Parts: sequence; structure tokens; C-alpha cells
Amino acid sequence: MFYAIYHFLCEYPWILIALVAHGTILGAVAYLILLERKTASWVQDRIGPNRVGPYGLLQPIADGIKFIVKEDYRPAGVDKVLFTIAPGLMVLCIIVSIAVLPWGGIHRVTHDFDVTGKADPVAAALHDVPGVAIAGTVQTPQIIQQSGKTIARVTYDYPFQASDVNIGVLFILAVLSLAVYGVVLGGWASNNKYSFLGGLRATAQMVSYEIPLGLSVLCIVIQYGTLDLGQIVEKQATYWGHIIPAWNVFAQPATFFMFLTCIHAEANRAPFDMAEAEQELVGGYHTEYSAMRFALFFLGEYAGMVTTSVVCVALFFGGWHVPWLDKLFPALSGNVVAGRPAITTSFIVCLIRSVVIFTKTIVIIFVFMWVRWSLPRFRFDQLMMLAWRALIPMSLGLLLMTATVVWIFGPNDRAFMRIGGRMGLVLLFGNIMVVAVSMLLSKLLPPPPLTNRRVRVLGSRFNNLVPAR
Amino acid sequence: MKDSDIKVLSEPKLSLGDQFYLPQVLIGLGTTMKHMFKVLSGTDRVIQYPEERREDLPIDKGGMLLRTYRGVHRLNKDEEGRVKCVACFMCSTACPARCIHIEAAESPWQDREKYPQKFDIDELRCIYCGMCEEACPVDAIELTHEYDIVGLTRQEMIFDKTKLLQIFDETIKDEPM
Repeated sequence: MFYAIYHFLCEYPWILIALVAHGTILGAVAYLILLERKTASWVQDRIGPNRVGPYGLLQPIADGIKFIVKEDYRPAGVDKVLFTIAPGLMVLCIIVSIAVLPWGGIHRVTHDFDVTGKADPVAAALHDVPGVAIAGTVQTPQIIQQSGKTIARVTYDYPFQASDVNIGVLFILAVLSLAVYGVVLGGWASNNKYSFLGGLRATAQMVSYEIPLGLSVLCIVIQYGTLDLGQIVEKQATYWGHIIPAWNVFAQPATFFMFLTCIHAEANRAPFDMAEAEQELVGGYHTEYSAMRFALFFLGEYAGMVTTSVVCVALFFGGWHVPWLDKLFPALSGNVVAGRPAITTSFIVCLIRSVVIFTKTIVIIFVFMWVRWSLPRFRFDQLMMLAWRALIPMSLGLLLMTATVVWIFGPNDRAFMRIGGRMGLVLLFGNIMVVAVSMLLSKLLPPPPLTNRRVRVLGSRFNNLVPAR
Repeated sequence: MKDSDIKVLSEPKLSLGDQFYLPQVLIGLGTTMKHMFKVLSGTDRVIQYPEERREDLPIDKGGMLLRTYRGVHRLNKDEEGRVKCVACFMCSTACPARCIHIEAAESPWQDREKYPQKFDIDELRCIYCGMCEEACPVDAIELTHEYDIVGLTRQEMIFDKTKLLQIFDETIKDEPM
């Protein structure tokens, strides 16, 4: 029985990858909440949860038990259907987006198929090759006669991720922007003005921040000419002048900051947590939620943070690439094909790569938390001003700059080397120029409209029609 | 309200760093990172209260001088174990929070006329100013160094004579009269 399961998983490794990746991320969420609380304490000179288990390590389990056994309370007057599906919708979108994250490059396997008694052993073996094998990498089977059996030995590559979508970036952007439906529906269905305001704010914010997010991702997509996250990572696994890793964060720092800002807004994190805004909206869209439904919202928020951080690592921090490791210990890089650093024959290397990408993700998530406990929340008009007057024009400028650079340097056949050498330097220079020019232009532009602090609200002290009592 | 009565304040001028926001953000992040390092290296953090207490720390490390601390009250006993109080009402008169309630009765002993039949202090109303201690002519009421008193109800926090005498028994070893 167990052998059968083991054999099945060996046969279909992507099922294992999907199970482990989803399990790890959803399990990690509990500990991310602990990390969040710890970070908050450290920033505030406290120690943080340390009562349950050593260093508070069992706190997430205690929290989980509490969430499960609490009364699942539904207030009167809520829209029952929407109220129930809203948290699920949010989590569903996030879980779907986890599927396309690149974990460990490309695994090249050699598999023996038993084709005894088949009329056409080669065709039979090729028919047995699993569908996830990357097209064009399946090599002609070797037919071996072995102890009375005919065995076809096939070598093929498959991507070490749950699902290899060649428009991965687009898919993640699309699915993550659907997650806002959970927030909006939750706020609407709660029959509570604070929740409703939270939902409304979330809508406006998401609509505004999708644009610079998409534009900054587009810079990277144009630069590499692919939407495949795995390929984008592979192309960063090289060096500038054999020293500096050719990660995008070094070539496109301004784009990176743009992207980082936008994923803060996308993940609904401070300083952009207008939808929650504990101090003004009593928790915003999840005010009326309790027990496991509330936990699902939390799960969605943190899992969304993990997903966007993995995307950030893949786009800007070279994914599974550990700088200089492949130079110092060539065996660990698992490099088998010259010029294709992603392909490896070792399953262990794939696992190490997954650990590396996860470690980088944790660092990005820590930055999320660090920012949350350092910066005050934007006022709503400031939030909109930042998006429409600063981020969108600047990301348009960056997009124009990247497109021009790519057009000048032309499509490069040695595509994975594209960022190396001159083009990377030109992009870095272009980034600095775009920032400098936008700073200069912001001085010339007319100032933003003054915030109207004296709205003549009926009955207020600013209204001269009805004297204030 | 007339328009002329409204004082319109202009916003403070932003510096270039403020305007581009990011430099100030980085400075802010630096500040919080400094605090994180302080906590993680153990040089500066809050006291873990039930295990660490301020009275155990040196004064320059945030400790407190227990000698001058005014905590929960006690009613002192004399050598014969009788309550020292003579029910003169000086303390309840001096009390600015009006939290001391005394019911006097004729003393069963020869050396005084009155003694308190009831002596209640509402520890929730008390502001721990120490005026009662100052006012007492026979040094019967004193403030001890105990500060971690708890109760599940408000009624529990109204300490009666028995309780106050019990506090005397508990604290007399550490804090002689």
C-alpha cells in the first residue's frame, strides 16, 4: 500500500511537489503570524510570545486550536451566502496561485519503461512519458533487453513545480487580483458600515495599485521576453563580469522598489492596510467575522504575502540561485547542460533549490513585517496620490526605458545571458535616470490639489446655513 | 462660528527627503532595526514582570526603591496582638479618595476608649498617597511595599479589618514597624 503510494509519487513527482508546496506554505502561515508578533515585539522593545512552548514556538498551535473551538458566530442581517463564501474565495485564489510558483528549476530524469511485448516499443515508451515533460526535451528511447524484458530508457525534463504554466507571471497577477473579491464580498455581506467602508477602500486601492504592479512586472517581462517564471529565474542564474550575480535587483533597483511597494498594497499590508485600518474601521472587512472564517481571512492574507514574496524573489532575487555557490562548489549547482543552469539531474539539488527560494522568501516577508511595524498608515487621499501621481508615471517611464534598451540591444539569442554585461549596466543607468528625471519633473509639475479640510457638512461647525448647536 | 474665528493652519514645509518619501522611510526602518538589535542582543528590553521584578534590579537599570514605595495598607498590631487603631477617624478624614470606612465601638480593653469594629479600605478607590499613614496618631495604619494585589471581583478588593491585620502578619517580617 505504502509502496504503491511511494511508487505513484515517484511516477508523478509534481503531485508530491504540489502537496509539499501547499502544505508548507499553509503551515508556514501559522508560524508567520508568530514571526509577525515577534517582529512587532522586537520593534517595540518587547520579547513577544514566550509562554507556550520554548520561545513561544507552540503559540501558533494554541491559536489554531482556539480558532477551531471558538463559536462560529454569524450576526443577524448578513448576506448568508456571500458571508460564507467570501473567506473561502480569498483562500481559494491564493491557493491556486501557489501552484505556478517555480521551486527548483528543471529536473532531468532518466526513466525505464517496461515495454515487453509491445509492437512498437519506442512509440509505447513515448506514450508512457508523463504529460508534464517539457515539449522537445523527450529524447529518443534506448531499447535495452534485460533478463527477458524489453525496457525503454527515456530521458526527459520536467519543471520542478506543481504546474508549469508558460504564462506564470500573468496567471499569478490575474489570480491574485481576484483575491480582492474576498475582501469586498466580506465587507459587503457583513451588513456593517465599517466592514463596508473597508471593502470599498480595498476596491479602490487594488484598482490603483494593480497598474504600477503590472507595469513594473512588464519591465522584467520585456527584458527577458518571457512570461515563464522558471525561465526568468534561470536567466538570472549567471554573473556580471563573473562577480556580481545577475539578479534583477541590481539591474533594475527602481523597478524593484516599485514592485515592492505595489505588493505591499496588493497584500493589504501596512502602510497600505486601508481595508483593515484597526484604529478607524475596527478591523475593516473582517470586523464581523470570528472563529475559523476569520482564520481563513488571515490565512489568505499571509499566504498571499508568501506568494507575492516568492514572485518577488523569482523576478528580482534570482529565485533558487545562490550567488557564487556554483563557482565554489560546482557539484552543488547540479549543472549538466552548458548554458542551461536550471537543468539538473539530481533530485537533491532541486530540493536544495526549493529551500533556497523559501529562505529568500522568508527574508522578503520579514521586510514586509519590518515595514509594517515601522511606517504609519497612509491617509486615503495620500494613498491615491502616491499611486496616480508617483508610481504610475514612474513605472511608465521605467517601462519606456526598458523597452528602449531592449530595442537598442536587440533580441539576443543567448537569451539567458541577456542581463549580463553591457545591457545590465545600461538598465541600471536607465533606472537611475528615470528616478532622477521624475524627481526633476515633480518640481516643475503643479502641486497636488489641496486637501479640503473645511467641507461644509450639514450641521457641522463649518456649515453657516445651519448654526451649530 | 464665524469664518474670522477659524484659525487656518498651513501645513509644514516638506524637505526634499520628505517629498520623495523613500529616504525618510529608510531612516524610519533604520530606527526600528536599531530597536530590534537592542532587544535581540538583550541590552534593552522590557522587564518580564512575574519573573523579573523592579525591586530586584539596580536603580540605574530601571529598578525601584522599595523603601519609599507605597503599596497596599496594613493595620498594625501591638505587642499583645490587638489592633493598634483607636478609631479616631483621622485617616478617613485625611483621605482624599474617601476610601477608608471605619465603624467605631467601645473598646473592650482598658488602655483606650474606642476601637474599630469595622475597618474597610476600598483598595480600588485608594490612590496610595500615604496621607492616612501621615495622619495616624498611633502609627496604626501603614502602607506596605506589596503592590501585586489581585481580586476577581470589586467586592474582593474592599479589604476589611481581618484582611488588613492579615497583611500585617505577612509583611511584618520584611517591614518592621
